[in-house]
Amino acid sequence: MVIFLIAVGLSLVFGTLQVLNLAHGSLYMLGAYLCYWISATLSQASGSYWWALLFAPVIVALFGGLMEVLLLRRIYNREVLDQYLLTFALILIIGDLCKLAWGVDFLLVPMPWPLNGPIIFMGMVFPRYNIFLILCGPVVFVGLWALIRYTKLGRIIRAMTYNREMADALGTNVPLMYTVVFMLGCWLAGLGGALVVPMASAMPGMDMVILIECFIIVVIGGLGSLSGAFLGSLIFGLVNAFGILIVPRLAIAFGFILMIIVLIIRPWGLMGKPE
Amino acid sequence: MESFFKKYFEGRAIILVVILVIFAVLPLILPVGWLSLVNEMLILAVAACGLNLILGYAGMVSFGPAGLYAVGAYTTALILIYTKIPFGIAFIAGPLIAAAASILIGWFCVRLTHVYFALLTLAFAQIIHTIVFEWYGFTKGDDGIVDIPVPAFLAPIVNYYYFSLIIICICLALMWMIVNSPFGKTLQALRENPERTEFIGIHVRLYQLSAFVLSGFFLGVAGALFCGFNKNVFPNYAHWMKSTEMLVVCLLGGIYTFIGPVVGSIVYVLLDKVITSFTQYWPLVLGLVVLALLIFLEGGIVGFIFRKAARSKQKGG
Repeated sequence: MVIFLIAVGLSLVFGTLQVLNLAHGSLYMLGAYLCYWISATLSQASGSYWWALLFAPVIVALFGGLMEVLLLRRIYNREVLDQYLLTFALILIIGDLCKLAWGVDFLLVPMPWPLNGPIIFMGMVFPRYNIFLILCGPVVFVGLWALIRYTKLGRIIRAMTYNREMADALGTNVPLMYTVVFMLGCWLAGLGGALVVPMASAMPGMDMVILIECFIIVVIGGLGSLSGAFLGSLIFGLVNAFGILIVPRLAIAFGFILMIIVLIIRPWGLMGKPE
Repeated sequence: MESFFKKYFEGRAIILVVILVIFAVLPLILPVGWLSLVNEMLILAVAACGLNLILGYAGMVSFGPAGLYAVGAYTTALILIYTKIPFGIAFIAGPLIAAAASILIGWFCVRLTHVYFALLTLAFAQIIHTIVFEWYGFTKGDDGIVDIPVPAFLAPIVNYYYFSLIIICICLALMWMIVNSPFGKTLQALRENPERTEFIGIHVRLYQLSAFVLSGFFLGVAGALFCGFNKNVFPNYAHWMKSTEMLVVCLLGGIYTFIGPVVGSIVYVLLDKVITSFTQYWPLVLGLVVLALLIFLEGGIVGFIFRKAARSKQKGG
């Protein structure tokens, strides 16, 4: 379910800014490392992980905002290839900076208190933290949906997605809103990273793995669609789980095959709109 | 006007001959280590030019050129390892199988545009990577195929250098002919405006597919060449890092020029060599270089030089 958080951020940014942010996985990794770092620094205080969970995504969002203002803004009107290469360059830079700062070891945060034990549900034993993660997905989904549906910010985002020039002409500060949306996407990526650390540890290379999976999900669901990202994560999760059961070594290929099938039958994704 | 063109082409021919002579005498001056570096550059140049056929000329951004490159490399390697077929045939089989694979992949991919085309090519390349990586019995998985038997006369690096130089010259000449043929011009029209090109009676998908297959063929040539050069092949040839490397090379040199990718690969390999000898953080530096390129040097090195030249000519005239 964590992957939904990251995929939905990618999809949101693409839907509004029309930029496919390849560095999205790197922001997720950054979130994971920052979460480790903050909770390790505060390890004396109680509830250090919760502080980290609060601050790490915010720092990632600020970093993303900086990225947008300094770099991305220059290339909205350029060729698509330039956007790919710019965000790809950011993957390399962020990846290496994380290596410089935190080394190449696997960094694990201990399970935070009230969630560090098992829970017994209908006679079966589950780790509490997994339940917490599973709940996070729908909570964020509903939150985002409400944000886009019912707030002023959401209306502006929808207007910009629909017609950028018109929104601009009607007095929306489009560049500022782009920064805001991009930061929101980064915050989601950072949140995903911070949530995953107690379970899977922070390590180099996690950015690429998640990025490829996110691509599959947003393409299946439809780029730029919230519910598509949600549906895509569910389908991808199921296919991946079955893949691991049947032929564990080729699990990721199943995801790609699924993506190819979807692209051929419905190139705009399951929940997307045809161009 | 006529005399201008004549002068222009004669000037080009002279430059071309000079460059060829320089490359031909390089083995006499350079130490072996540097020679293999030059060889690597030339092979990367063929791959990048092959990619540029679809990227710069047809305007199709592919994320998966490394998949086809690996198909070329692995085909040659597998034939040499498992059968007694001579090197020459194995070498030709590499590009042909790569072209066949790109017919299959291209048939799906040309139905899509923009982001979806890029992602679908990426997906296919990753599938090739997964197959190569996991099929231990046949491709030896992540151990790679090592000690590929190469005929004795190609074993010394100098001989192999001449061999690849000849092949590369042939490939570049072929690509030059392709992009300047009516076919190449049609591709450029397609890049600029697909709808209008369709209106004047061009079968857009067919042209895109042919460009994709041609590009796959030349990527296969590069793969097969590298397989003979390195005598080992590894699954990371198909990895998307490799694809991006090719994209960066094209961008570095300039994608709207023919010679751009060649210049790009020379600069790229040199940078790689120089920077990795100073620091292990090569990706960081590469990332910064790409950023700088995008912001300050639109159109790549060659595009930049051409623009400067055009501007100074304007000033002079």
